Amino acid sequence: MKTRIFSPRRAADNACCPRSRIAKRKRASTPSTLAAYTAIVSLLGACTGTVGSGTQPSSASSPGEGASASTGSVAVSGGSGAMSDSSSGSSTPSSGPSAPTDAPPAASLRLLTSAQFANSVQDLLGAAAPLGPVQPDEVVDDFAQVGAASLVVSPAGVALYETATGTATAWAFADATHAAAVLSCVPQAVTDVACFSSGLAAFGRRAFRRALTTDETSRFATLATTIASQTGATVLMGLQHAVWAILQSPSFLYRVELGAPSAADGGRLKYTSYEMSSRLASALWNSVPDDTLLDAAAANQLDTPDGVTTQAQRMLADPRAARAVVAFVDDLYGMSNLEEATKDPTMFPTWTPTIQAEMKQELELRVVDVVLTEPGDFLSLYDGTTTFVNGDLATYYGLTSAATTSFGKVQLPAGGPRAGLLGAGAILAAYGLPQRTSPTTRGKFVNDAILCRSIPPPPPGVPPLPPSLAPNTTLREQLVAHRAAPQCASCHSIMDPIGFGMEYFNTAGLYRTTDNGQPIDATGTLDGASFNGLAQLGTVLRKDANSAPCVVTKNYTNAQGRAPTDWDTAALNALTAQFTASGNRADKLLVNLVSSDAFRFVQPSQL
Amino acid sequence: MSRISRSVLPRRMFLRGVLAGGISVAVPLPRLFGMLNGNGTAYASGSPLPIRFGLWFFGNGIIPDRWVPSTTGIGDAWTLSEQLAPLQEVKPYLSVLTGFSIPIANVAPHASMPACALTGAQVGPGNVQLPSIDQLVAKVVGTGTPFPTGLHVGLSNVSGATSLGLAVSFAGPNAPNNPNYSPAALFQNLMQFKSTGGAPQPPDPELLRRSMVLDAVAADVQSLRARLGTADQQRLDLHLSGLNQLQQQISAAEAPMATGTLVNPDTAYPNRGADGTITRMRGQAFSDLLVFALSSDLTRVFSYNFSCPACHGNYTDCGLDPTTFHEDYGHRLSPKGLTYATAGFNTGVRFAMSNLADTLVRMQNTPDGTGNLLDNSCVYATSCVAESQTHGGTDYPLLVAGKAGGKLLTNQHVRIVDENVSKVPFTVLTAMGGTATSFGLAQGQVSSTVSELLS
Repeated sequence: MKTRIFSPRRAADNACCPRSRIAKRKRASTPSTLAAYTAIVSLLGACTGTVGSGTQPSSASSPGEGASASTGSVAVSGGSGAMSDSSSGSSTPSSGPSAPTDAPPAASLRLLTSAQFANSVQDLLGAAAPLGPVQPDEVVDDFAQVGAASLVVSPAGVALYETATGTATAWAFADATHAAAVLSCVPQAVTDVACFSSGLAAFGRRAFRRALTTDETSRFATLATTIASQTGATVLMGLQHAVWAILQSPSFLYRVELGAPSAADGGRLKYTSYEMSSRLASALWNSVPDDTLLDAAAANQLDTPDGVTTQAQRMLADPRAARAVVAFVDDLYGMSNLEEATKDPTMFPTWTPTIQAEMKQELELRVVDVVLTEPGDFLSLYDGTTTFVNGDLATYYGLTSAATTSFGKVQLPAGGPRAGLLGAGAILAAYGLPQRTSPTTRGKFVNDAILCRSIPPPPPGVPPLPPSLAPNTTLREQLVAHRAAPQCASCHSIMDPIGFGMEYFNTAGLYRTTDNGQPIDATGTLDGASFNGLAQLGTVLRKDANSAPCVVTKNYTNAQGRAPTDWDTAALNALTAQFTASGNRADKLLVNLVSSDAFRFVQPSQL
Repeated sequence: MSRISRSVLPRRMFLRGVLAGGISVAVPLPRLFGMLNGNGTAYASGSPLPIRFGLWFFGNGIIPDRWVPSTTGIGDAWTLSEQLAPLQEVKPYLSVLTGFSIPIANVAPHASMPACALTGAQVGPGNVQLPSIDQLVAKVVGTGTPFPTGLHVGLSNVSGATSLGLAVSFAGPNAPNNPNYSPAALFQNLMQFKSTGGAPQPPDPELLRRSMVLDAVAADVQSLRARLGTADQQRLDLHLSGLNQLQQQISAAEAPMATGTLVNPDTAYPNRGADGTITRMRGQAFSDLLVFALSSDLTRVFSYNFSCPACHGNYTDCGLDPTTFHEDYGHRLSPKGLTYATAGFNTGVRFAMSNLADTLVRMQNTPDGTGNLLDNSCVYATSCVAESQTHGGTDYPLLVAGKAGGKLLTNQHVRIVDENVSKVPFTVLTAMGGTATSFGLAQGQVSSTVSELLS
């Protein structure tokens, strides 16, 4: 079960549940807040001693990462084993861009999201590996990736990891054939230490997203051989428990991204090659790197934008890329709201949990199609008539289609009322109440997710709406109070018109021509452009000046695992210009994003 | 270079406090029944039996007019109100506190208020700024058990949208103790501690192997920790304490000695409904399991999340419509009209109290020392709002049940108008042996207790 601690906002027309992510907006810093931080990044440029020799644990100068000091020597502090990662800096200092002294420190320990955990375990142990529940994600700034930067694993969460990985590894090592699919070397005897070591080292490299140290390889190999040597035990049992240990280790469960000072870039913290492989795999596959990517990291091929681009393009062409797009869609469009949506069974008898799940799949398939399969103009999603349905959904939507259980690409009737993202059942139902629509909630969703416009919370003391619609009035008419009172209109005039434009579709996502017996008025304007109904509203959104930058910002937030700050403005502007110039190609956006300076360096460059 | 935490100060200060308060990395031995004296009334060493604590939470508030008992006083001087009537059987163990108000601004409905009732502070970037009351109590009484930070269960897994979230127990910011929604899973977990009777059996060799695996995992924690900044180290320390708890559980499972009644949910409540739904039977299944864990000293703390703040789940189990309790009833938005919605909401609150009664009655019926488990426990029950329709913060629902080994006075209705809600969890913490001189932050902070509660 994928559950969220903070479901994305769901403002009802009453005063309850304001859409603001409670206090988490503070993550997006203002310059005055940034000034309060006392990051010591600038000291790195002047570092002349052995990095990491201070008394405090230093997250930037990781022992063994081979960080370069500006004196030209490569300082490797003693540790329990040097990381076999190559330094990304040269020994010759140059005048590369330096980081601002008051830039916010980046997150350095990111828990795998529940989707990443599942994908990773299945990539490592097999696509059919059984997966038990883990601690729910914490969604911050729309994305589980952001919450993962600060989420703490509870004792129960630690136990859930033990159980989930235990079940999966027991399955993976049930027999030698299975084991051979997981490990590059399966020992024939408990004495074959070399095979234990090589197999576990190769597995550990993928799980930890970096080469294991000799100590680490030894730790896991010794565990395997010790257990395998017990009375009644087997080699397989030893391997199973060693892999179990690897998959419970924080080096697997958390992405460790510390960076190392790059002398070629004025001492700016740059993600190491292995860290880049981890970041790329997370952003583009929502999983662990494959061996090809790790080999590229080991060969320092991820140190340059070109090297990253080469791998990124390979990765986007791989079927695994769809999982990252699906995770992005689920978060941005708030599919947890759909999962929790209830509809009155008397009023909407055709609404079922099956339809609910199929709507989610429809939306995911639509976006994957535009981003990866075509690939095409992302904004065409907003008013396009291409969608994916199976027999169930076709019947539900009233489309003629060969009734099958599998999904197929179809065209919605041209010129018809249903089109685009807003016409997707998933969106219409996710942001509606059990018995009626909520134009304010729908409008708020569009502002948040499509236009990147945040709406402040309602003022305190707003009286609740009357419990039921007055006879012979539409909901639009009922909500006149939103527009009459100035303290309400300032925000509701931004949200409600969009929702009214969608009123031809009820809360179960079905078309209707009347509301409470009265004809529906779905006219409105958005940023000066007029529309009547959601198909036209979709076109208005596609052409709105905020739409393209918002797509970029949302992708950036998800990939970086943090909401952008002022320091990211230059990066966002550059990416947006490239995005628009490319015809709003989201696949190219992803490549540009991961190869950008902002993604490859821990700290942003000076404005 | 030292990595500065990017969170606001209160979170950092809290995390230091947690460590200072003793995240234990040692592995204390669990207390075993073999260590009791001949009468089972104390430990063989003479020290008293432990006092237990429960946090019992129900979402969506109350109707103050129907919740507040009509008279105040002790014993026969007061009677239960309509919404509290389901608790009649445990009235002698109950203190009802009314008139209390939430002193902090309601910046986030269904989040600010429960944060205050649970932590004494406003919400923060990590949901809460401070540990919840059950976690503070766990630090005082929980050490030495296989589950020192408690068992956390929940009925509804439907969120409250932008409310405080699915968890009501927090070790600190960004550190929720999410509820377990599966009685069957909890039963499986607890079964390993149950004595099989007869001669002791050699431990399952897999327990030792699990322990060896966890040792290897802990080694990874230590080596990773050394590379990180302070805030991340503290996150890993909490992760490590979870690993240590697993080791404690393995130790206890190697020599299972629990002799209480462990009720199998599949046998006793086969029709209890799907995990994540609100049904009385699932609540009873959890209550049975919690009572076993408490009386066997497997834990001394629990949180029971009947429904989370602003829960959008439905209450069909008590006959209400299959729509969201929060909106249709809590906010009276049912299309069937205000009268219907109000009556339905009242039914729902009484239903929640019936479930609370199920937990408390089971505790009362479980022998413990010279009395029963409720004599030796404290259960603190509250909600995410008072008057549900308007998000009222006055006449906040606050119940304290159990005698806490004699530290708590009971069978009373105490009414103090406009008193700070935080005083109640602070009083409870004090009764449980906490030595803190204050509780909460800013307007939520208190340093005096509700004297009527303490003996």
